[in-house]
Amino acid sequence: MSQVATANAEPIGITNLPNQRYKIVSKEGATFTVMLAGESGLGKTTFINTLFQTLLIPHQDNRNRFSKPIKKTVEISIVRAELEEKNFKLRLNVIDTPGFGDNVNNKNAWQPIVEFIDEQHSSYMKQESQPTRTGAKDLRVHACLYFIRPTGHTLKPLDIEAMKRIGTRANLIPVIAKADTLTPNEMLEFKKRIRAIIEAQNIRIYSPPIETDDQAAAEHAKQLIESMPFAVIGSEEEFEVDGKMVKGRRYPWGFVEVENDQHCDFRKLRSLLLRTNMLDLILSTREIHYETYRGLKMNGEVGSESPSKDSKRKSVDKFVDNPEFIEEEKRLKRYFAEQLRNEDQRFKQWKQNIHTEKNRLNHDLANLQGDMKRLEEEVTSLKQEKGYE
Amino acid sequence: MTVDESKPADGAPSISASASTAAAAATTANVSSNVTSPIPGASSEQLKVLATATTTDASSAPQKTGSVKPAEASGQRDVPVIKRKLNGYVGFANLPKQWHRKSIRRGFSFNLMVVGAKGLGKSTLINTLFNKELYKLDTVPKVNYPDLEQPVDVKIDTVSAEIEENNVKLNLTVIDCPGFGENIDNTDVSWKPVVDEINHRFDQYLEQETKVNRSTIVDNRVHALLYFIEPTGHSLKPLDIEFMKQVHEKVNLIPVIARSDTLTEKEVKQSKQLILDDIKNQGITLFNPPIYDNDDDETVSATNEMAEKIPFAVVGSTNYIQTPDGRTVRGRSYPWGIIEVDNEEDCDFIKLRQLLIRNFMEELKETTAKVSYEKYRTGKLLKLGIQQDDSVFREFDPVLKQEEEKLLHEAKLNSMEAQMRSIFQQKVNREEKKLQETEADLFSKHKEMREKLLKQIKLLEEKKKELEGAQSKSQQSHKQQAYASPQVNNAPVKTRKGFLR
Repeated sequence: MSQVATANAEPIGITNLPNQRYKIVSKEGATFTVMLAGESGLGKTTFINTLFQTLLIPHQDNRNRFSKPIKKTVEISIVRAELEEKNFKLRLNVIDTPGFGDNVNNKNAWQPIVEFIDEQHSSYMKQESQPTRTGAKDLRVHACLYFIRPTGHTLKPLDIEAMKRIGTRANLIPVIAKADTLTPNEMLEFKKRIRAIIEAQNIRIYSPPIETDDQAAAEHAKQLIESMPFAVIGSEEEFEVDGKMVKGRRYPWGFVEVENDQHCDFRKLRSLLLRTNMLDLILSTREIHYETYRGLKMNGEVGSESPSKDSKRKSVDKFVDNPEFIEEEKRLKRYFAEQLRNEDQRFKQWKQNIHTEKNRLNHDLANLQGDMKRLEEEVTSLKQEKGYE
Repeated sequence: MTVDESKPADGAPSISASASTAAAAATTANVSSNVTSPIPGASSEQLKVLATATTTDASSAPQKTGSVKPAEASGQRDVPVIKRKLNGYVGFANLPKQWHRKSIRRGFSFNLMVVGAKGLGKSTLINTLFNKELYKLDTVPKVNYPDLEQPVDVKIDTVSAEIEENNVKLNLTVIDCPGFGENIDNTDVSWKPVVDEINHRFDQYLEQETKVNRSTIVDNRVHALLYFIEPTGHSLKPLDIEFMKQVHEKVNLIPVIARSDTLTEKEVKQSKQLILDDIKNQGITLFNPPIYDNDDDETVSATNEMAEKIPFAVVGSTNYIQTPDGRTVRGRSYPWGIIEVDNEEDCDFIKLRQLLIRNFMEELKETTAKVSYEKYRTGKLLKLGIQQDDSVFREFDPVLKQEEEKLLHEAKLNSMEAQMRSIFQQKVNREEKKLQETEADLFSKHKEMREKLLKQIKLLEEKKKELEGAQSKSQQSHKQQAYASPQVNNAPVKTRKGFLR
């Protein structure tokens, strides 16, 4: 009886649930944290300004970049912004890593990046476990863009080391910077080589999920995956092309358009970062990367200081790992070792002196003994003389 | 120049006073030092310290007025935020759309609790709301004659069902509390099991949330509570008030006047007013449908209309009836007419369904998670003795961070140095002592031997003298002097330790 005229009944309203979610998200806006890693001079700043179509990060004065090589600046800089697009508010954090790989010795140059990611997870964990936790400051990195120099050859050891470590902690997105310096063939070859290394070295990079229930979305995701690592060019300058203002770079031999799929993968990368996969980046950070860190941390605390257990992630306790600090500790140890050597040297000299003195004194005693012997002989001879008398 | 340094303190009203006095003092001090003080460096140095002290204070002061939290007291800087409206198409505005898709893929779930005395049509209403036979309705109500002496236990019954509409899936769980309000003395027993159930579900969630693996977390929290009020036409009964007071801060409370077809339009109006007065007087909070910032006028007025109907006067029925004008409607047929469930003229059923399902089901979940649960959790953790540490909530500042690390590192380095120095000192002392002993031993042995020899020599000499007689007296005395002289030379050596190092 009850099923008879279901068609006549008004809809229950469940259809509207996704729209309710839409409204709630629209009202709340979102927080998104993107990290830029890679050597300086690869156009990281330009890229982010191009992506958000506004000057977020002012360019560093290049003349001053190396003028104070001794005073090391902060390894991490944060730009916080509240952007609004079509009434949707985005709290954007851009984490820049100035000076990454700029030193002569780049051993451990990835350290500050990796530490920052861990640190944010750790901080969020502490906040999350407080009795009152509203207003938590969330700087968990949702995407880390790793800029690769367009050498056309291969990845540097530093790149491999850095990417390996970032990939296990955050959504790593490799990017070939300044793509306009490679011809299409060179680019194809370069990409192939990088993908081969990424696979051979087991570097974990972000891969958009392929949703089988949505043909178009799955197709798009496949395209994005195939384009990795994304070759990009950035430009804050606009030029007039066929009456329209287009972002790009003008060379004597031609005009490179940022938003032209024939010229570079900028649009694809933008789609991945913002238009189609932003939510997935946010959710996978929250549900996979953060949860992994949390699990390691919680298990690590149970097993306390067994180094083998979390050798993969030993930097949970930060200060132990800072190479500069370790260097200083080594220096201190060396200083005392040297002091000890100096003292040893002194003691040796002292022993030597004692030895010499001993010889001298023995000599002195021998002299006396000699004197005594002589006297004895004299006495004996005197006695004999007496005896003869 | 020291005066200039104190200027940045302008921002803080409470501190600027002290800063300006410091500045004033600086001027006078500078003047006097120029004229009289023979050591101008001393006074200006002191003031410099004063000036920098005020500027650091000032930088933290603008953050919050009034109570200073420990986090801010530790010198947190102001974090600059760039604010911009973008005109071009960047793409992040697509995020709600991404959520839309994702939510369909993930599916929805909802836990609804229904509380009310028996016979108020709870099961019928649920079936009507979700257009599904969640509860089998007995055509002839089971009549059992309860033992009046024996208190009736309140039980918790749950029913789950997956409901799909246009590819959107909802996993619905209805939590019923049969036995509620059936005792003669309803003071304590009736509401306690219900409140316990709500708490238990919060506890369960808290426990899951604290576990290492949270990937399988299930949300069993009560997202909304439909409370059925008897259609007496009067105000609330003491049990109604007591129950609502117990739960209104834990759940989204939605009161309904059950079986409203027994009340005339006028009675419904009156009854609603009486109930709302009671609720207001007792300080009970009901779920209030929110108005979002970017709602259009139509949505705003629809939401307001919904809010005005609270408490919803409802009639439930899953029976389809033929109306005289030829329509098939869900409703109840009386000799004097047909009451249509889905007709806003007849009852508030549609408004209730809009609020509960069509418009605010996700919002109900959101408030449960962000307000009710958080409140419960805070209370629970504090009761367990977990103390709030607000210092972990500060904004990440790389410069500050680096400084802190440096301080920590320096402290570590210092203790390392002290330890190493003491070990070093111990080693040196031990070695030194050993060598000093060797040295002393050497001298004392030498002295002993020498004295022994000298004694023998003396004896021999005496013997010789005896033997020689007075023959060569002058020669003898000469020799004696020669032996005695090294003894004088060595004398200071033996008394001074470590002479040879």
